[in-house]
Amino acid sequence: MSLLSIRDLCVAMGPQEILRGVSLDVPDGSIVAVLGSNGVGKTTLMRTISGIYRGRQGSISFAGQPILNLPAHRIVALGLCQAPEGRQIFSNMSVRENLVLGAGDAGPGELDRIYTLFPVLAERLRQNAGSLSGGEQQMLCIARALMRRPRLLLLDEPSLGLAPKLVALIFDLVRRIRAEGVSILIVEQNARAALRIADHAAVMEDGRIVLAGKAAELRDDPRIAEAYLGGHVHG
Amino acid sequence: MIDPYYLQQLAIGLSLGMTYALMAIGFTLIFGVLNVVNFAHGEVYTIGAFAGLVAITAFAPPFLAVLFLALAAGAAAGFSLERIAFRPFRRFTDEASLKSRAMRESTLLSSLAVSIVVREALEIVFGSEMQPLPFEYMINAPVQAGPVTLATGDLIIFGVAAAMLAGLQYMLKRTRIGLSIRAVSNNPLGARYVGINTDRTIVMTFVVGSTMGAAAGILVGLYYGAIFPAMGFIPGVKAFVAMVMGGLSSIPGAVISALILGVSESMATTFLASGWADMVAYGFLILTLVFFPSGLFGAGRERV
Ligand SMILES: Nc1ncnc2c1ncn2[C@@H]1O[C@H](COP(=O)(O)OP(=O)(O)OP(=O)(O)O)[C@@H](O)[C@H]1O
Ligand SMILES: [Mg+2]
Repeated sequence: MSLLSIRDLCVAMGPQEILRGVSLDVPDGSIVAVLGSNGVGKTTLMRTISGIYRGRQGSISFAGQPILNLPAHRIVALGLCQAPEGRQIFSNMSVRENLVLGAGDAGPGELDRIYTLFPVLAERLRQNAGSLSGGEQQMLCIARALMRRPRLLLLDEPSLGLAPKLVALIFDLVRRIRAEGVSILIVEQNARAALRIADHAAVMEDGRIVLAGKAAELRDDPRIAEAYLGGHVHG
Repeated sequence: MIDPYYLQQLAIGLSLGMTYALMAIGFTLIFGVLNVVNFAHGEVYTIGAFAGLVAITAFAPPFLAVLFLALAAGAAAGFSLERIAFRPFRRFTDEASLKSRAMRESTLLSSLAVSIVVREALEIVFGSEMQPLPFEYMINAPVQAGPVTLATGDLIIFGVAAAMLAGLQYMLKRTRIGLSIRAVSNNPLGARYVGINTDRTIVMTFVVGSTMGAAAGILVGLYYGAIFPAMGFIPGVKAFVAMVMGGLSSIPGAVISALILGVSESMATTFLASGWADMVAYGFLILTLVFFPSGLFGAGRERV
């Protein structure tokens, strides 16, 4: 069964069409990766799912409920949370306050679980979020989104700008989060790493999905290898 | 030994500064969440004073009830103000509108329009003169504190304002709505991603800020016995100056600046005719804008 189901989604900013009929499914319990080069509309897709942008046409349903153009806070309350591009943490507030805000109605009950997933954050609870390193900020961003116990977690380029070691750590975390029963939709430019952890993947070009399938199959697809894996089939 | 006269002026200045601080907090909170100046804030102060006055003339309740009614009127005024003058312009959420100065200027003008309408309406109903106040409600009985003679009003204003500031601090640090207000000030987009209802948070910001502004209005009204439709203008300007001196969106900065302003004005009356005391605020404003464009306490502090 699909937890998230997107059909023919069109999004425009003024006269400019950015998504031109995107359809995508996230089966319950799976990791789905969206790949694509800069400016093809990946973030626009993620923002529209979370209710930040409005869709012009099409439909999005989450756990059987239509959510397209619902206000963002209602979508979060349904258990669909995002660690957005640019992190968007509250840099002037403490790490703990960031996490508590992420929890919303759920209350701070999740803090202990978060500390086991992200031990670095546990040591920095009283520190200003803006004073964290880039990697720590990314972890805070993901942790904040997990505080609500979401059923679906959206990750928009979580590895952007991080050193290779941290990238590996983040991908490892993504696996562990899924193991706890959270479905994941992840946007990545690091296609190799994304295809390694994903069950399904879709490739976007110019506001459309041009290729979709099982991650294992896409890994061997010469078109993918050419465009996104630097020409080598296996990494 | 300091001349008791200066101690007295200091005490008066601090209580005056506290009323500016209560006002400045409203400006600062609203600037924090919306990045716009609320030009109708002075009228909220006036509404607080008039709500108290109406209550007094209608059924002469005890002082605390007058204060409470004034605060409730301020809260209601803040709520309505947001609905009428600010929310309609938030329909435009596309990138171009969010960045455009025209959008910000239009809310500026709509709040100015509300302020004019409120003032004119009060003048039609009450007339533009000072309203008579029953003597027993005035809070200007002399109080001897050692060598210094104060008025009950100085103490009441200081006490009420300090309690409200402490309450505000508690709210901003410890409660859901307070954290949400700070979150929206810090990162409005991030606030939407964590599921904060930003519209509701903005309304609450207006309610909190306006409640404090209305408190200042009724306290000053009862202290000086001067309640009239245009009474909010000068304190509004002073509070605006305090906000700018404090760095636009820092509450501690605004409060400290408001106290500096109050004390400076009160001291200045020693050397200047009282009509010139207003020049102090304008002087501070010009000095701040020329030498400390990001506020006396530097930029980069926490907003709200
Ligand atoms: N709010 C907006 N207003 C106008 N244009 C926008 C807006 N958001 C996105 N766009 C445009 O939509 C296109 C797709 O942007 P988007 O951010 O979705 O790309 P992306 O695939 O996430 O790119 P990247 O890999 O660089 O993050 C770009 O051309 C961008 O300029
Ligand atoms: Mg993007």
